[in-house]
Formats: sequence, structure tokens, C-alpha cells
Amino acid sequence: MQWLDTGWFGMLFVITMVAFILYNIHRAEKRGKDLFIRRIPGLNAIDDAIGRATEMGRPVLMVPGIGDLNAISVQAINIYAHVTKAAAQFGTPIRLCVANAAVYTVAQEVIRDVYQEQGVPEKFDTDSVRFLTDRQFAFAATVSGLIFRERVAAAFFLGEFFAESLIFAESANSIGAIQVAGSTEKSQTPFFIAACDYVLIGDEFYAASAYLTRQPLLVGSLVGQDWCKLLITASISIGFLWLSVDRTRMVNEHRAPLEAASPEVWAALTDDQKGDAESAEGWAKTDKPELIKKSDTFVHRLFNPMYNEKQLIVERQKKPAPAGEGQ
Amino acid sequence: MMELLAQVEYGPLAVKPYSTEWLIGLIVTFLLAAGAAIGLSKVPANFRRPIVSIGTFLCGLIYVLYWLWPRPVNLKPDQVPNGMVEQVGKGLSDTLPLLADVANILTSFLLGLGVYSLARIHFGKIIKRQSDRGFSWVLIVSATMISVFGFVDYILRSQDKAGKLVDRENWGFFNVGQDIMFDGLLLQMDSVMFSLIAFFILSAAYRAFRIRSVESTVMMASALVLMLSLLSPIMFQWNTMIAQMAKGMNIPNADPSIPYPGGFFHNLQISDWANWVKGNLQTPALRAVDFGILLGALAMGLRLWLGLEKGGVSV
Amino acid sequence: MIKEKLLNIDRRILYGLLILVTVIPLRCDQKLNNITDDYSNAFYEAVSNIPEGKTVFIESDWTTSTRGENSGHLEALLRILMAKKTKFAIFSVGDAQAPGVFRGVLLRLMEERKTLGLPAYQPFEDYVDLGYFANAEGTLQAIGGDVRKVFEKKSIRDAEGKQRSAFDSPVLSNVKSVGDVPMYIVVTASNTIDRAIERLSAKTTLACMCTGVIGPSALPYFQSGQLKGVAIGLKGVFDIEYLMANGLNLETKESVKWSKQPDKTAQPITVGKTLDRGNRYFLSFMCAILLLIATVVTGNVMMFVARAQSKPQGDEA
Repeated sequence: MQWLDTGWFGMLFVITMVAFILYNIHRAEKRGKDLFIRRIPGLNAIDDAIGRATEMGRPVLMVPGIGDLNAISVQAINIYAHVTKAAAQFGTPIRLCVANAAVYTVAQEVIRDVYQEQGVPEKFDTDSVRFLTDRQFAFAATVSGLIFRERVAAAFFLGEFFAESLIFAESANSIGAIQVAGSTEKSQTPFFIAACDYVLIGDEFYAASAYLTRQPLLVGSLVGQDWCKLLITASISIGFLWLSVDRTRMVNEHRAPLEAASPEVWAALTDDQKGDAESAEGWAKTDKPELIKKSDTFVHRLFNPMYNEKQLIVERQKKPAPAGEGQ
Repeated sequence: MMELLAQVEYGPLAVKPYSTEWLIGLIVTFLLAAGAAIGLSKVPANFRRPIVSIGTFLCGLIYVLYWLWPRPVNLKPDQVPNGMVEQVGKGLSDTLPLLADVANILTSFLLGLGVYSLARIHFGKIIKRQSDRGFSWVLIVSATMISVFGFVDYILRSQDKAGKLVDRENWGFFNVGQDIMFDGLLLQMDSVMFSLIAFFILSAAYRAFRIRSVESTVMMASALVLMLSLLSPIMFQWNTMIAQMAKGMNIPNADPSIPYPGGFFHNLQISDWANWVKGNLQTPALRAVDFGILLGALAMGLRLWLGLEKGGVSV
Repeated sequence: MIKEKLLNIDRRILYGLLILVTVIPLRCDQKLNNITDDYSNAFYEAVSNIPEGKTVFIESDWTTSTRGENSGHLEALLRILMAKKTKFAIFSVGDAQAPGVFRGVLLRLMEERKTLGLPAYQPFEDYVDLGYFANAEGTLQAIGGDVRKVFEKKSIRDAEGKQRSAFDSPVLSNVKSVGDVPMYIVVTASNTIDRAIERLSAKTTLACMCTGVIGPSALPYFQSGQLKGVAIGLKGVFDIEYLMANGLNLETKESVKWSKQPDKTAQPITVGKTLDRGNRYFLSFMCAILLLIATVVTGNVMMFVARAQSKPQGDEA
């Protein structure tokens, strides 16, 4: 980030959002668990799906997307830890298929810990968490094959999915598996909606761990996100109004001389604005450049610094030449 | 530390490959890494979490500072940064690629763990003579072959300074084998898997687009408008017909040759309906979803960075 | 019985029908009419009016799986640039296989130019192939910061086969920063366009050619002006080829009229091929869409028929 001109605005905005989230985490930890979260049907269906798999004696499939080890895959693993906790209680077999080696390492540790925490470490099958391949369509083929061969009863597709999303969802649908899905890639959400039983849309994916565990820390973070949304909505509304006022002023100032080319207006014009015209009446009849440009509006200035780095020259010392150079 | 980093050019490992310095550096790095790994494994379990949290915080802090700290403006490679602010800014810029390289190296090691998991499962299936072990054989044989052919092909191409292998006629057994397995088989199978989506879209749309509720009717109607708008040769004829009709009714500016219907008849163009749906419903909705997703990522990132996220173990 | 079958058509029948309706029209090579999208018009106008003597950057991040769409995009784009003798640097940050795939497109176009008797487009002199850069975010960040630092590591072969620095080439010799590039075009099948917008949109003009699935995600950026133009999916290929053949907002009868932006004009391409893959595949695409509409309509009609028939029985019960 370069603090040029109005570049500070974005920084201030993000810092405000960070403050909102941290403040609400602090507030929620003080208040305890009484914060409200609306119902999310896809997450309520988790227990039903595991129950169904238990009754049928078939495995539960979980895929945390094909992305790298990042916030998305960590969140997916958090949700799967909850799913595994329920599966461990009932002794339902699980299959956690991973397309990234780093995610695989983390997933294996977390799932092993869940079994230990539930007091059934002997039920943890090391083969239940699998790294398959890091190639997108090879992974799609492998997971589809696994769905058909093991005839999974429930399938969870939560994480960063791309073109393979529909291949997974339709494969699981064709064997009648109950499916809960959600992708942070918004282009894939329509495919999941068309093919899956329950879909988490947008930030519902991130709300999942707060919803499932009701931990004050997570719920507070969720409330902080809602504050941020209000901040964004307020900024959009204020920006929209401000821009409208600026633009109206622009149009009025442009139109006023056309309607009444008064000597006062003529006197206020710069030479550039007068152009070739010699009098107010003559000027009113000519084509004129805009009096206020779009780039003069406050909102435009807020996001577009007036100066770029090329325009700034800073005097500095030269580095000393290495010994021996120039001989 | 930052000042030190600001003075050195990026690339502390940028010594001549296979030189003595390179070899010594490699051995020292290996010993340090092995020492660190052994040391960490001996740490009592209750201290591991704080160590990981501190490491995460420090690495994250560099990225946060990189974003917040002013960078030196127009700093040329032969110039020395002015004062502490510029030196730290330069130091941060130089540290990021180093961190990215360390992350890449760690990921490569983790890939080894992934391959170990894959091999254990499939060799296990073969040894235990489980059902579907045929697939395991296919996997192991093809993975071995593509690794061998790919590696030999890579070596041959890196030794080909004159660029002879650009011409297919100069290819040897391994180059041809690599071409058949990689370009001829693997890439084509990728395409096949991708093309399956067309079939799945058809069956999913057939099932999903049913008039069962108000929401599903809205979804189906907007999908139909968008699908019709994609049939542009047909829509062209449709617009021409409307424009002809408008011309017949003496609507000003109506011109079937463009086609331009003019006046109220513009509203009968399905392509305009689709543009309205895309511009006024779809795009704002996607923006809203984006805001939600990015805020979720921000909150999650913060919790991970500050060590507040306790991971899946706590749930 | 037939009604029940139509209500729950076996998916294998649907798949069979899809194969038929897409394969048969591929034989047909008739010139089709078109209504081009606003974002395609904007793309063509922007690419057609790149100032002479400037170098364009092309980030090609797609592989064989999406060649049906992206191959047409890249071919159309390169034909426009070659017809206007615009120099370009091409590279990938999205996938290690991508360079192999775009090199295939380049070779095909070179062959085509040879067949049509057009002068060859020379590597090193007219374009540079910079290959693959790992770590998309880091690379784009670095391109935004100091493009010479990123590309100077790449050595490329000149016309005599000698290894030279990329910046020795006339293509890159005048590029000091990414701001010197009049347009940075991303041809992609994934979300790499988001990364390019995050890192580069304040520094240069961006445009995008993407698959139909990614298209809706790119449109908000077009609306906000962060993308100068977008060509989406096979329709985008067809639009660009159609604009190449007919021009934009010209006085001619064939020219596409963009009523929202009547001041923006672009000449048609008069050298080499214009209508190709987009026009050829579009009939298949249309037939597939028609099949989709037909199955959706059939499913709904049969659902209503089944409901109407089951109602009296329900009443009796």
C-alpha cells in the first residue's frame, strides 16, 4: 500500500472492519452464548445425513475442495471435524478425500484428534483420510469412482470447488446420496443448487462453524461480519447519494449557461472554458468542454489518487560499487 | 533485521548451482531444518500450540506490515533507501518472495506425505488382494511410467542446448513416450472429464427446473430468458421481425436491416431482457455474495493469525 | 406409460440426444447472424484501437479441458493482433500446462498464415513466449511492482536460435513498467482474473476472455470499469469473430450497430481468417441449448399432466 493522496481510504475502511470483528469477538466472549443466529437448513441436515449413513451402513464422503491450504480449506476441515464427531459417536465410516498435500496433512491430524477426543481412537482408520491427486479432473474422476464403488450414503462438498463440482454432485445424486454442498466460488453455486439437497450460499459457509458449535468467539466474529456488512451498505448508500449530488451539480453547472448565458457566468469562466468564444451569447452557442469532469467528483477522487508514483521523484544515495568493479 | 534485509539483494540462496558454496549451504540448511524438526518433535504437547501460534503470528505480521507500511517510491535497484521507514519498506518487499519460496518448499515436502498416503492405500489393496485392486495396479503402473518418462524427457530437454528437440523428427523413445502419455492420454482424459459437465448440466437442469414453488418458477423463467438470448441467430430473426412490424406501424427510427425496432418495440427484444437480468439482478447479487464471502475470509484469517481459531479439535 | 417416461426420462437417453444434437451440426459451416453482447463489443473496440507500436500482454491460463471455448478466444485475439501488427508477450500464471497449450495455438496460426500467404509472425521480433510463472499472486504482484525484475529471468531464443534475455527483444525493449502496456488481456478458465484485477487494475487496462462458467463473475468488473471488455464463453468467441468480419458502428450495412455507444467504432479485419471456430461451433451450441429448453419444457408439461391426473384420484380417496 502506498499512502498517496486518497489511498488511505481503503486502509481505514479495512482497519475499521477488523476493529468491528475483534470488538464483537471480545463482546461475545463476555456475554456468553446468547447471540442469535438464523436457521441454516443445510447445517441442520448434517445429523440427518449421518443418521441415514449409519442406518444404511455406508460411508459418509467429505471433500474440502481442491484449493491450497488457506482459510477456506481450514474452515471446511472445521466443519468436517464436526461431521466426524457425529460419525465417530455412531461408528459410521468416513471418507475424507483431499486434493492438496498440505490440506491432507492438516485434515489427517484434525480427524485423528476428533476420534481421540471422542474416546474411540481405535476406530480411526488412517485410510479414511486420503490424498488422491492434485490434478483437478483426475481428482474428479477418482472421487466419482469412489462414490459409485462405495455407494456413499451422504456426501459433503464444502470448500473451494471449480468445474468438478457438478461431476461430484451428479455422481452422488445418481446413487441417491443425501448431499450438503457449498462453494466459495460463486460461479459453482448454481450447479450445486441444481444438483444437491442442501446448499450453503456465500458466507453461510463461514458461518457454519459458529452455527454448529455456538462458541462465543465464533458467534462474535459472525456478528462482527454483520456489522461490516452494515458498514458496506452504509458506504454504498452514502457514496450513491454523494455522487448523485455531485453529478447533479455538474449537470446544472453545464446546463445553466445554456439556459442563461449571463455576464456573471461568463466572468467566472477560465480561458480554456471560454475557448474561441468572444462573448457570453457567443459562448452559449458553441460546443463546450464539461465544466466539471467526472474525475472532479468526490467519490471518484476517493478511489483514484491524483498523483501516481511516476510523478514523484525522491533523491537517494547510490549504492557503493562492489570492490574491484570498474578496474 | 529489516535493515539487514534491505541491504542484501533478494536471493540468499542465489549462489551458483553445484558450486562449493551451494553444497555447503545445502548441507547447513538440511542440518538446521533437521535440527529444528527434531527439536519441535521433542517439545511437550502443551507448548506446541503456543509455538505454532507465535510462528503464524510472526509470518502473518510480515504480510500485514507489508500492506500497511509505506513502500519506498520509485526506488531503483542501485539506490539506497532513505531512513528507517524506507529501509523497513524495502526489507518487507524483499522478505515476501523469501517467505513464498519457503512455503513452496514446505509444500513440496508435504506432497511427499500425500504420495506416501496414496502408495500405502493402493499397495495395501494389492497385498491384501482386495476387490477393485485392478484400479490400484493401473494407478501404480501409470504413475511410475509417467514419472520415469517425464523425468528422462525433462533431463534430455534441459541438456538440449542447440534446441534440436523442438523438431519432432529428432525425438527419441522417451520424448515420444512422454508425448503419448502426457499430451496424448492425460490431457485428453482431462478434456473428457470436463466435457462430462455438459451431460450433467442437461440432467441436472431437467430435474431442477420444475415449477414447484414461486422461487423455482422465478429461477426457471430467468434461466429460459438467458438461454433464449444465447440463441443469437434466432434472436436476430426475431428482432428483425419486430423491427418490420414497428416499421409497418410507422414507429420513428425503426429499421429492420440493423435490426432496430425503435420505441416501445424495444421491450420485445429477448436479448434486452437477458441484459436486464444480467445487469440488474445477477451482477448485484454476485457482488453481495462476494462481500459476504470476503468478509468471512477476513474474519477467518484474523482468527487464524491471532491464534483465536482453535481448529477442528474444539468442535 | 409414455407420460411417466417423459416425466422421468432416463438420463442415458438425454445424454444420447445431447451427443446427436451437438455432433451432427458440427458438419455445417454456414455463416450465421448474430446479436453481439455489449461486453464483447467493448472488448473488440478496445483491442482494435490499441495504439500502434505498443506491446500487449496476454496471460493465458487455460488448458486442454476448456479448449472448446478458450482456444477460440485466443485464436481470435491473436488474429486481431497479428492483422494489426501489434506485438505481444504471452505467458501463464495459472497452470504449468498452459504454455504447452497456447504454443499449440500459436503454431496453428503460423501454419494458417503460411497457407494464406501472409508474412510470418516471428518469435522474438514480433512476439515473445515467456512460458509459465509459478505462484500466480506473487507473480502478478511483482509484475505490478517491477515487470522487468519478473521477466528478465526468462531467456528466450531469437530468430537464429540463440538464447537471449527477454528484454533484448523489440517486443519488450520499450516496456519499463506494466503501465507502458496499453492492454493486459487475461484468457482464462479459472478465477485468475480476480487476482489480475486485485493486483493490476490500478496500473494498466485489463480485458478478459473467459469460459461461460466464469463469465458471470467477471461481469461486475466490467460494469465497474475495471475490465475494459469481456468475451464470455463460446458466445464470446462467436461475437468477436462476427465483429472481426463486420466491424463495429461503421456506415456499412453489415456492420454491428452498438446503440448504447454509437461513438465507439472499430474496423473489420481484412487480413486472414475471421469467422472460424466460433461460427463453426455455434450451431452445435444452439442445438444443445434448444435440447435443454425442450427437456425442461417437457419435464414441466408432464409434471402438470401427472398432477392433473392424480388430483381426481386424490379427491376420490
